[in-house]
Amino acid sequence: MGSEAVGEIRRAAVLGAGVMGAQIAAHLVNAGVPVWLFDLPAKDGDRTGIARRAIDGLAKLDPAPLAAPGLAAHIGAANYDEHLDRLAECDLVIEAIAERLDWKRELFARIAPHLAPHAILASNTSGLSISALAAGLPDELQSRFCGIHFFNPPRYMHLVELIPAPASAPAMLDALETFLTTALGKGVIRAKDTPNFIANRIGVFSILAAFHHAHALGLGFDEIDALTGTRLGRPKSATFRTADVVGLDTLAHVIGTMQSGLPDDPWHAYFAAPEWLGALIASGALGQKTRGGIYRKVGATITVLDPATGAHRTADRDIDPDVAEILKLRDPHARFAALRASPHPQARFLWAVTRDTLHYCAVQLEHIADNARDLDLAVRWGFGWKDGPFELWQAAGWRVVAGWIADDIAAGRAMTNVPLPAWVTEPGRDGVHAANGAFAPADRVQRGRSTLPVYGRQAFPDRVFGEPAEFGTTLFETDALRLWTTGDDIGVVSFKSKMHSIGEDVLDALGEAIERAERDLEGLVIWQTEPPFSVGANLSGPSAPRADRPKPSGLASMWKKVRREAESAILKAAHRLNVADALMAGRLEKVEGIVAHFQETSQALRYSRIPTVAAVDGMALGGGCEFLMHCDRTVATLESYIGLVEVGVGLVPGGGGCKELVMRAAADAKGGDLFPFLRRYFESAATAKVSRSAFEAQALGFLRASDPVVMHRFELLHVAKAELRALAARGYRPPLPSHAIPVGGRTARATFTAHLTNLLAGGHISEHDFRIGTTLAHVMTGGDVDAGSLVDEQWLLDLEREALIGLLATEQTQARIEHTLKTGKPLRN
Amino acid sequence: MSAKIQDAYIVAAVRTPVGKAPRGMFRDTRPDDLLAHVLREACARLPSLDVAAIDDVVVGCAMPEAEQGMNVARIGLLLAGLPQSVAGLTVNRFCASGLQAVAQAADRIRLGEVDVMIGAGAESMSLIPMGGHHIAFNPAVFARDEDRGIAFGMGMTAENVAQRWRVSREDQDAFAVESHRRALAAIEAGEFADEIAPFEIESRTPDLATRHVSVQRRRVAVDEGPRPGTSMDGLAALKPAFAVKGSVTAGNSSQTSDGAGAVILASGKAVRLYGLQPLARFVGFAVAGVAPDVMGIGPVEAIPKVLRQTGIAQSALDWIELNEAFAAQSLAVMRTLDIDPARVNPLGGAIALGHPLGATGAIRTATLVHGLRRRKQKFGMVTMCVGTGMGAAAVFEAL
Repeated sequence: MGSEAVGEIRRAAVLGAGVMGAQIAAHLVNAGVPVWLFDLPAKDGDRTGIARRAIDGLAKLDPAPLAAPGLAAHIGAANYDEHLDRLAECDLVIEAIAERLDWKRELFARIAPHLAPHAILASNTSGLSISALAAGLPDELQSRFCGIHFFNPPRYMHLVELIPAPASAPAMLDALETFLTTALGKGVIRAKDTPNFIANRIGVFSILAAFHHAHALGLGFDEIDALTGTRLGRPKSATFRTADVVGLDTLAHVIGTMQSGLPDDPWHAYFAAPEWLGALIASGALGQKTRGGIYRKVGATITVLDPATGAHRTADRDIDPDVAEILKLRDPHARFAALRASPHPQARFLWAVTRDTLHYCAVQLEHIADNARDLDLAVRWGFGWKDGPFELWQAAGWRVVAGWIADDIAAGRAMTNVPLPAWVTEPGRDGVHAANGAFAPADRVQRGRSTLPVYGRQAFPDRVFGEPAEFGTTLFETDALRLWTTGDDIGVVSFKSKMHSIGEDVLDALGEAIERAERDLEGLVIWQTEPPFSVGANLSGPSAPRADRPKPSGLASMWKKVRREAESAILKAAHRLNVADALMAGRLEKVEGIVAHFQETSQALRYSRIPTVAAVDGMALGGGCEFLMHCDRTVATLESYIGLVEVGVGLVPGGGGCKELVMRAAADAKGGDLFPFLRRYFESAATAKVSRSAFEAQALGFLRASDPVVMHRFELLHVAKAELRALAARGYRPPLPSHAIPVGGRTARATFTAHLTNLLAGGHISEHDFRIGTTLAHVMTGGDVDAGSLVDEQWLLDLEREALIGLLATEQTQARIEHTLKTGKPLRN
Repeated sequence: MSAKIQDAYIVAAVRTPVGKAPRGMFRDTRPDDLLAHVLREACARLPSLDVAAIDDVVVGCAMPEAEQGMNVARIGLLLAGLPQSVAGLTVNRFCASGLQAVAQAADRIRLGEVDVMIGAGAESMSLIPMGGHHIAFNPAVFARDEDRGIAFGMGMTAENVAQRWRVSREDQDAFAVESHRRALAAIEAGEFADEIAPFEIESRTPDLATRHVSVQRRRVAVDEGPRPGTSMDGLAALKPAFAVKGSVTAGNSSQTSDGAGAVILASGKAVRLYGLQPLARFVGFAVAGVAPDVMGIGPVEAIPKVLRQTGIAQSALDWIELNEAFAAQSLAVMRTLDIDPARVNPLGGAIALGHPLGATGAIRTATLVHGLRRRKQKFGMVTMCVGTGMGAAAVFEAL
């Protein structure tokens, strides 16, 4: 199966050009699959206008559904009246029209005669019954039909639920799962055909539980959001803001699906849209898309609905300091115990919602999912929770929490009095996750990981609590870094520092790792056990060891907009550039020594006798970007945010980054006019530009066109090792050093200076920005030499180092660094 | 003061309509084709003229490279079908290039060396960006503070002028609105009919559906720049284009444009020999330098200079074509020299009609000589500011 199955889907169609349909189409072209996007014919004008407008609208969405702007051209607009014959060329047809069973059935009847005999038909319904949809299909389609449920935004949300229809062919499902995994990069969970499937069932239940307990305890919606956001390991948008983002009409719809589809659910009484929700929808306030919902911005003030009065009031209620202290407790057992013990309504709310959600998960697990791991991962991947419900339960102590829940049920405090299932309290049970798999209630076994061949590409898949967290065999380890293998002769280097920043200790250990690899191994892959790749240099001395439990997920961060993520990372990188102390102690020479060491390490990655491959996922900023640019190859996931951001804290790249950009410009120019190429690289470094996808990083030149882009983050190491083996197989020799790099010289520098002069005069940049810019120009044009002069790498490295130290010695750069350390915000001076 | 031997007369003056750059009607039209067109059309208007009598064709171009590079004057005149014996010279004084070409052509006649000349201008800002494809500054520019202005973009210099001459945003926007109003009224009234030589655009694009080259032809005769409905409110919404807290916007600056213009000049002797009808007499021309960082103020020096040179009083000028590089510098010049706004750009200016850099001087000369005759006015002027700090001004007398 494997790659053949992936290749079988050469072209796809998406039916329905709404927000989800258009974004699914966008992600298909991100993956290199050309798409026809269908919608109804427009009544007048361009008959494919509806689909065409949806394609044009993709460019305006944030975060961006398309990983490169040019990809939109590969989505073809179509309408059902004129273009149904195009379906014949599609191997996969995804239906994403409005959630109406009759409309979907009608559409299926209309398109069925036009489908290729092998084509897969899948519905992206978020909760309608797949078997009911299948019921109307012609016999020959039954085996090729199933549900695939994407989450919004589909490019960024890892989860896709795969829901078999009664007659779905197992081989078809396996092929589709393989395609969704490797080609689209999604985390596939097989769900049972029950209303709202897994993630929405649990996620929406927890929202309904929050509605119920907020009302019962008289808490404000802003208060609930302060409680149920990042403090709880959930997205910042928490409960009610999430509802506004999702759309209140959509939320009401999924609640309605539970109400009508789950008459026997013991919690059925709660499956109703509260009155205030109906009133908001009736007034046209549907949330973000109508610029007003539960929250509404009035001038500069954020207001929130008060359900008691039906009016909006200023949103100024926050978490109680004592409750906040409880949520800071790292040990979940202590946290839950403290919440239970507290009389504060906020604490009572948190325990109640947690209790009822766990209660619900335990009762419903066997009806909606195969096993506990599937439920936990679905909620994490689909709702951005840091921990799945069962993970939390198990981490807090399975038996004691089960006892607490049972007590509350018995005392009538839980939302219903249905008892916990017997398996929860059976003797010897300490949890649901273990080394031998996750509990599958229907078969009463521990279910191991899927044996589908595609998962052979994931040596280290996303783990759940209770699964062993070991990464291969250690060859060499310090506090900063570990060199290990999976039993083959490829060395894997993983940093241990916080955000994988690069301090002196990382440099020391990486040098050692390269030496060992040269001696004992075929090559070296730099791969982190979780994103980011690295936020850059840390000139402050020993890297702070990572405090949190390592977990290769980082998906919660996907909720944040990419740009904001990159910006905050720049700030965090600045934090780590803790040079202020060194400077105050007059240790500029020491800093210069570290920079030189950094450059030597970059050069070692380039010129070691073994091939080096950087495996990048998430942010690779500053020094992290410099490292990957020096490796023989970079393998990057689609969601790679790469850039040289040093100017943000008043510096220039000093670890070989400027040198690399100059060399790449010279290579691009192929002996012709250097300047246009140099200018592009100068602009990206001078504006601290960070790519918003791996494709954009290629366009910016941080990645080479030959650097492979991987769609699935957990397949990254697999592909990186394959690249490394290919490099080794050809009889790897390091590149010959460059002694004749043409530079732009004084003329190019003057041209950059002219541009900066205008920005300064126009008030776009400060005097110090001007100095940083001209310093960068000086380095990137090869210094004060004639245009076209030939220099070697060391010449450029020396310029970089001197420039960085020169800026560090200025009061303004020092002030920027100090300010950032104190306030966490950038200083414009 | 003029030491001329004989007068130079303008006997034909034509121009293309002006297109918006870089996405307007001439976006794919070569400037040397536009030039050849106006040379051909100018000659066609003088059927009695023996074109072999033309001594030299002087063409202004501000960014003479690529499609308008080499020696675009010589290439353009050969493509126009002029005899190979006719010579060609390209001159560059940035925005005054077209006017410089007319003046230089006139001077050869006024010296008595030759009797028939062409002065012209051509520029495609769609195909050749401002500054050219490869800008390469001299590092010495940044050695002395007073040279820094060389590096300033034109918009920055306009901000400097707005600040030092205290020209408000409101005044600039009002000036821009008036420019559009006048230009639209002039088009409506057919005021440009005499000077515009309609151009047939031929575009060749691959039709990927039919696998054929699709050839489209379209005749254009109207300036593309003037925007109906330009209002104070609309312009007020625009953000400053050059300085964060500035007042110069895309709406109160000249438009980037494509176009060409040409005038044929002849001595009295040639006028008689070929039976030509003089439209205007070339009276005089002056240039002057100012600080590069306030280049827009250039006409303040050039206008008095040419008036002194020609002995004509400012009050005698009925019509002044003052190139609207920016509303800020236009207003600063008019206020400093106390010029009556009613006499300036009665048919609108570059803010509405566009400013194809090196072509503008020749284009506006054509506008002026036809306009003076239509309105039965006598003296007129074409003047403009020039990048890196210069002004140029020429005086014409309608006949």
